[in-house]
Amino acid sequence: MSTQGTTSRLHSGPGLPADVLAELRGFVGDQHVLVHDGDVEPFSRDATPLFRARPDAVVLPATTAEVSAILALATRRGIPVTPRGAGSNLAAATIPEHGGIVLVLTRMNRVLEVSQGELLAVVQAGTTTATLADAAAAKGLLYAPDPGSRTVSTVAGNVAMCAGGLRGLKYGVTRNYVLGLEVVLPTGEVMRTGGRLWKDVAGYDLTRLLTGSEGTLAVITEITVGLLPMPATSSTGVAYFDNLSDAGRAVAQIIAQGTLPATLEFLDNRCVNAVEDYAQLGLDRQAGALLLFGDDGGPDVVAASLQRMADVCTDIGARGVTLAQDIAGSEALLYARRCSLPALARLAPITMLEDVTVPRPKLAEMVDTIDAITAKHDVTCATFGHAGDGNLHPTVVFDPGDGDARHRAEAAFDEIFHAAMALGGTITGEHGVGAAKRPWLAARLGPDQLALLKRIKTAFDPAGILNPGKLGS
Amino acid sequence: MTDRDIFDKDLLAACISCGFCLPACPTYAMTQDERSSPRGRITLMRALETGRLDEDDPTLQEQSSFCLGCRACETVCPAGVQYGALLEQWRDHQWRGRHVPPAALALRTGMRAKPLIEAAGRIRGAAKPTGPARPDVEAHLMLGCAERAMFPQLSKAVLRLLPDAVDVPSGQGCCGALHAHNGDSRTAHRMAEELGEVMPGVILTTAGGCGAHVAQVLGRERVRELSEFLLQYWGEHPDRLPDLRRLTVDGRPVRAALQDSCHLRNGLHVTAEPRELIARVADYVELPSAGTCCGAAGTYSILRPEDSQRVLDIHLDEIEAADLDYLIVVNMPCQRQMINGLKRRGSKVRVLHLAELLASAL
Ligand SMILES: Cc1cc2nc3c(=O)[nH]c(=O)nc-3n(C[C@H](O)[C@H](O)[C@H](O)COP(=O)(O)OP(=O)(O)OC[C@H]3O[C@@H](n4cnc5c(N)ncnc54)[C@H](O)[C@@H]3O)c2cc1C
Ligand code: SF4
Ligand code: SF4
Repeated sequence: MSTQGTTSRLHSGPGLPADVLAELRGFVGDQHVLVHDGDVEPFSRDATPLFRARPDAVVLPATTAEVSAILALATRRGIPVTPRGAGSNLAAATIPEHGGIVLVLTRMNRVLEVSQGELLAVVQAGTTTATLADAAAAKGLLYAPDPGSRTVSTVAGNVAMCAGGLRGLKYGVTRNYVLGLEVVLPTGEVMRTGGRLWKDVAGYDLTRLLTGSEGTLAVITEITVGLLPMPATSSTGVAYFDNLSDAGRAVAQIIAQGTLPATLEFLDNRCVNAVEDYAQLGLDRQAGALLLFGDDGGPDVVAASLQRMADVCTDIGARGVTLAQDIAGSEALLYARRCSLPALARLAPITMLEDVTVPRPKLAEMVDTIDAITAKHDVTCATFGHAGDGNLHPTVVFDPGDGDARHRAEAAFDEIFHAAMALGGTITGEHGVGAAKRPWLAARLGPDQLALLKRIKTAFDPAGILNPGKLGS
Repeated sequence: MTDRDIFDKDLLAACISCGFCLPACPTYAMTQDERSSPRGRITLMRALETGRLDEDDPTLQEQSSFCLGCRACETVCPAGVQYGALLEQWRDHQWRGRHVPPAALALRTGMRAKPLIEAAGRIRGAAKPTGPARPDVEAHLMLGCAERAMFPQLSKAVLRLLPDAVDVPSGQGCCGALHAHNGDSRTAHRMAEELGEVMPGVILTTAGGCGAHVAQVLGRERVRELSEFLLQYWGEHPDRLPDLRRLTVDGRPVRAALQDSCHLRNGLHVTAEPRELIARVADYVELPSAGTCCGAAGTYSILRPEDSQRVLDIHLDEIEAADLDYLIVVNMPCQRQMINGLKRRGSKVRVLHLAELLASAL
């Protein structure tokens, strides 16, 4: 992609000046500034296939003060800085396309507080999502956002990408739980937005603006998140349908009758078969779609909710409906969804996992469209996703050694993105734009909104040093 | 750039860089640094393979040796990456010529000397080899190399537990696991095959690390680790199940915990069996880090004593907090590591191999 706007004024060339390196070492200690080829190579990529760029240096700070010193220096000298958490994002959002510094926050990984009285937790940027959720659970509290990557992703990474998960329909996504942030502006000022309040309307909602900002506006150093009481119990059921439109109608009917379930996940026929090949769970291979439904809450409420959903599926003409009898049974059913990615990842070396999202009633239509597009381009694709959110994960697998396979996959995705937008949907529901989906951002936002994004970016980051080339650059 | 053909292409291509392995990795836990994570190491291997990095890049040398080789990363990997095999290929290349750590070279050479190993076993009083392998036994007991010399009581304990089921074929050398983990997998392969010829049929081992290596070369069906063998054999032959009494100290039941062997757990996938056997004779206590590497990691404690100690300290803290009588191990290097560690701390906890624990309950 082109180097646009402010990025052209940035430092470029092999390596950083010696005096800059000396200052960085002074801030964080010699062993936390990496510059040699082998030392920086592991930071040249994240979980996104096919994107790669080596930074000039990697810096691993341990305190907010260190982050502030690094950023002030970088702005002064025009050095690109790309924040990085666990590097698990799927949008090439941490690829340092303009070189410079990759700023890794994983050493700042302490849970600072879990408050039962205030229903909130305070964590440092590099704390993993699972560590936060476990600390909350130890006090009987729920941290609701649960991205599939929760064991590895950092909370700051979740905030920067506004990560979703399997509970979005009932509980929302990361943005619904961020109460306050401590951030460092690219110019070095340390600032707190929001705080410990569920209600606070003083000023623009900068907390929300920073949520999903993909490391382009400020570096997050501390996060205050809201928690919920842990639901007493949960349960799951599974229904098989002849085709996806029946499953789609079941989803619409479940919601129309007033149930807002915690789980509504689907797998298409190819995904069911890939999972069955991999894990032999006894799934119905002939089914056109598998729908997982589940809920949490008090035992009576959950039982009633599951029965209602099972009845809807049966009425719509499901081929089969099973309710889990206990927690172990629930886990077994959910495993079919959990192992979708492993099952697909084993089919070929490259796995491209996308996440177009459409209005819920268009779900079945979108899946059919994906099937038609991928068939046309002769690419292997299976789709699973969050049916309740209209969030689909069409997953294309291919062998890079296989001629123009990569080309065909990219052509298919281009059509898929445009098809989703034509249905009133978006190019990404939860994985973010990064470098991977940048080519479609203008089509999604339109020129006026894109221009506003750039003005916002400049207000936060006058020198254009933070994650240059990404959102708003 | 042409590939350097150091790695098996398919194995190296399998990683999808998802990062799920980061939280499972003990060296990443120590550093929070991508370089010392499984994914980071695979990125380094790929850069070595494709020529993106110089062969002499110091990070390649450092990370190939900092890795414990515990294979915890394999158990959480959604793509089924065979990290252990990749690490062997990496070290084969990395630790060649002048790059072999001297201690690794010495160990590799020493353990190739079969007559010396056999003599050590005789002098130290390990179970006596009984001649050529007999066709009428359920399994052949493998004596190990260092185990024979350092813990000769283990093989004797096994014979007390299984008086008629196994024999001890003569002419056993080292299985080569040590070579596989220290940059010489070709020799390692040959040594396991030689062992397989001396012991046709099922090989019974008291060491998870050796078991996983032999299984990789000869096939899983040729190898039984002690705990899985005991449960299977006693299950099929209830008349052979000895009376195991419940052990006591000062009139109360013994409290015992297990330290898993990484390769037994992550390579052979044996976890429940040793726990079940311990629970038959003692009150079983699960330590929080029972399943993570103790830092022995084969020869790691010799090659990288300081890092090994850092990994070990987490375990020693947990052991001291758990009010234990015994810590049970199922692999020789772990036994040595734990004995040394607990001795340094002046702990009263006794370290016993599962075979010793069970034999003491006869
Ligand atoms: C197998 C798999 C399953 C996944 N499942 C889901 C899912 O269910 N739902 C979902 O939404 N996502 C999912 N993801 C995507 C990914 O895990 C999320 O995007 C996650 O939020 C990234 O967190 P991270 O710590 O890895 O961030 P990174 O990948 O390191 O960074 C992501 C972005 O955040 C920025 N950033 C990181 N730290 C900071 C900071 N301290 N300050 C400012 N900016 C920062 C970076 O610059 C970058 O733009 C999945 C990924 C994988 C590999
Ligand atoms: S978990 Fe497996 S696929 Fe994912 S990064 Fe680690 S080794 Fe690669
Ligand atoms: S073998 Fe162990 S130390 Fe090495 S990368 Fe895997 S988990 Fe980490």
